[in-house]
Amino acid sequence: MTTSDKDPIHIIIGNKIWGLFGSLKFTLFILFSLAVFSIIGTVIQQNQPPAFYTMEYGKWASLILRLGLEDMYHARWFSTLLVFLIVNIVVCTIDRFPPKWKSTFESKVDVDARFIKNLLNNHTIILNDEPALARERIMNVLRSKRYKIKEANNAGGMSIYAWKGMIGRFGSDVVHVSLLLILAGVIIGSIVGFKDFGAFYEGEVTTIPVSEFQFGIDSSWHGIPLPKIQRYRKASDIQLRLDKFWIDYYETGQTKQYNSILTVSDNGKEVIKGKQIWVNAPLHYKGLTFYQSSYGMAYDKVKQAEFVLKNSKSGKAIAPFFTADWNTPFDIPGTDYRIRIVGFVSDFAFDPATKTIFPKSAEHNNPAINVEIYKAGKLVSRPWLFYNYTDLFAAIPGSDYELVFQRYQGILYTGLSINKDPGTTVVWAGSVLMVVGFFMAFFIFHKKIWINVKRNGNETEVYVGGMINKNKFIFERELSEIAESIKSDISGGVRK
Amino acid sequence: MKVIMSLLFFDMAFWFYLATMILYIGYWIIKKEWLGQASTVLAIISTFAIFMMLIFRTKESGHAPFSNLYESMSFFVWIISIAYLVIEFRYKIKVVGAFVMSIAFIAMLATSMLPYRFQDIQPLNPALQSIWFELHVFSAFIGYAGFGLALGMAVMYLIKARFEESKTSHFLIDRLPPSAILDELSYKSVAWGFVFFTMGALILGAVWANKAWGTYWSWDPKETWSLITWFVYAAYLHARVTRGWRGKKAAYVAIFGFLSTVFLYWGVSFVLPGLHTYASQ
Repeated sequence: MTTSDKDPIHIIIGNKIWGLFGSLKFTLFILFSLAVFSIIGTVIQQNQPPAFYTMEYGKWASLILRLGLEDMYHARWFSTLLVFLIVNIVVCTIDRFPPKWKSTFESKVDVDARFIKNLLNNHTIILNDEPALARERIMNVLRSKRYKIKEANNAGGMSIYAWKGMIGRFGSDVVHVSLLLILAGVIIGSIVGFKDFGAFYEGEVTTIPVSEFQFGIDSSWHGIPLPKIQRYRKASDIQLRLDKFWIDYYETGQTKQYNSILTVSDNGKEVIKGKQIWVNAPLHYKGLTFYQSSYGMAYDKVKQAEFVLKNSKSGKAIAPFFTADWNTPFDIPGTDYRIRIVGFVSDFAFDPATKTIFPKSAEHNNPAINVEIYKAGKLVSRPWLFYNYTDLFAAIPGSDYELVFQRYQGILYTGLSINKDPGTTVVWAGSVLMVVGFFMAFFIFHKKIWINVKRNGNETEVYVGGMINKNKFIFERELSEIAESIKSDISGGVRK
Repeated sequence: MKVIMSLLFFDMAFWFYLATMILYIGYWIIKKEWLGQASTVLAIISTFAIFMMLIFRTKESGHAPFSNLYESMSFFVWIISIAYLVIEFRYKIKVVGAFVMSIAFIAMLATSMLPYRFQDIQPLNPALQSIWFELHVFSAFIGYAGFGLALGMAVMYLIKARFEESKTSHFLIDRLPPSAILDELSYKSVAWGFVFFTMGALILGAVWANKAWGTYWSWDPKETWSLITWFVYAAYLHARVTRGWRGKKAAYVAIFGFLSTVFLYWGVSFVLPGLHTYASQ
């Protein structure tokens, strides 16, 4: 864009800004700034609670939090740079693409010897043959090297223009467009997509919640209404059942693989039945993807537990141990007692305010089991038995029996990540396009050759010259080869 | 697990690379034709030795040889050697070998100094059992090798350009290829490296992450550092188009880019915590 002194001030400033956004210096500035901000993001630990920064960085903490350095990649700085990058790409393309397109397709065919001699790479060949024969030779050489050819007759003789690899000049544009496409995919994902996590037990059916969005208005910034995306969660028609979860081990004891078998129902109808997933092999259904992400032991349930009944005076076992299933009445052998497991916590804790027992954590630090003891069909006690402290409380008050909670078999749950991200497809499309663009830009070269043939007395003068956008040294060699081939097997050819 | 053959070939390759480096440097200093030929032969033998190491490693472990630093460094050495031999045959400039084989030997030395546990074979953890992981590392390392070559060329360029400018002469510097060729080769190395790095480290890495963790990008330090490296080389490619940035400034960017690559490869695994820390386990 050119500016003259007579232009109004806003045009001059507009052109200046346009020029800045379209400059390569601006590109370099953005790329280096992105690199520097990213480095800061890897040095300062991200997304920690504010107290962490106070502890770690002292008086600098407030600055870090104010500048948003604790969530660098979502901070205004970073998004602003990405917006600048997009603007830079768009402005550069608008500025440079049309002239490039023109110069690529509208090359001169009819050129004189002087034009060729001014080219960086050029050769002059003197032949004894007639121009028509020379033309035939030249055409054969160029065709065998897969050049496309145009020719024109002129006063002194004729001109030939040959080219190949034109597409290579647009590689960089393809890469730039692909980058915009990838960023578009990222934006789509951040608006439409969601990521969820759930723990699933064998046999349990869970309705999958999904996240939806709608556009709203946000006036919190100086009362200016700005568009806002409101997200809300709702139950979907999709239900997931875990049929089985197990872990494979290597002989050395290291984990080989985590596996879950899943059944998906949609609107009450089973649509996917017994599909096995593992790390690196998720399940897809209607845009939702279920990933094997973690596993653990239930903190509020057990499959079964093992007890021993002892004589509280002698401490001797009355009978061998017995095993009771969760929530299933079981007659204790050798007695007229009956037991039923009704509760479990993996890490026992008691809240005096509400007088409730709850698991302090999901870790199995202090497992405790809640059982009901019946005698002749009547409930006699309901004790908590501790795995770590066997004789803390009497299980059956007023009897000679002591019940020991000896062992238990927990229930494994599978941790599944549930994702929806329609932007991913766009990101992949952009990625493929980017690789295509790279190959065009780096490995296909736009080569242009001009040849002028002129009759001079008994001789035919051939001027060969060429241009390439990249890779000068390889082209130098190729042009010499072409000149050599034109000269060779024509009798009496001399190259100057 | 038995790792005898791969260790044996690694040790052999180590001494071969040392000898190759010495021969190339010797050729650079005394410029005798027979020494140049011997260098090339030894370079081919070294490349073959490290290739055999990788083959036995694959056979012994049952998986592609890039699951830890010991394996991936050997793979890097193999790729950079092949890339160098291609350049030598295409451009017929052997002096470059003194620089590139020094890089290869330094890599071998660093690998041999890794703690012993790296030489042992570890079974693959669940996340690594994926064809995408293998393609990801394979392609990313071709990228690393390209960047490594570019570093060698950029360093030579800076030395050569300084002498050309001041029109001073020294027999060692005079034997380096003209700065214009070094600049071109540096650019070509970055171009090849950049394509495979983008494809391997970023795109295939994202595909694998999406399969394993359900997100193609999570700003994990290794991911972030590969993006930083990508920004630096993107800057290099744009700098070369700008008139004032061509030559020296571009060469410095190429050197800076390789420092970023080294940190991405070694630094992140040892210094910063994240998903990729298995590399240091």
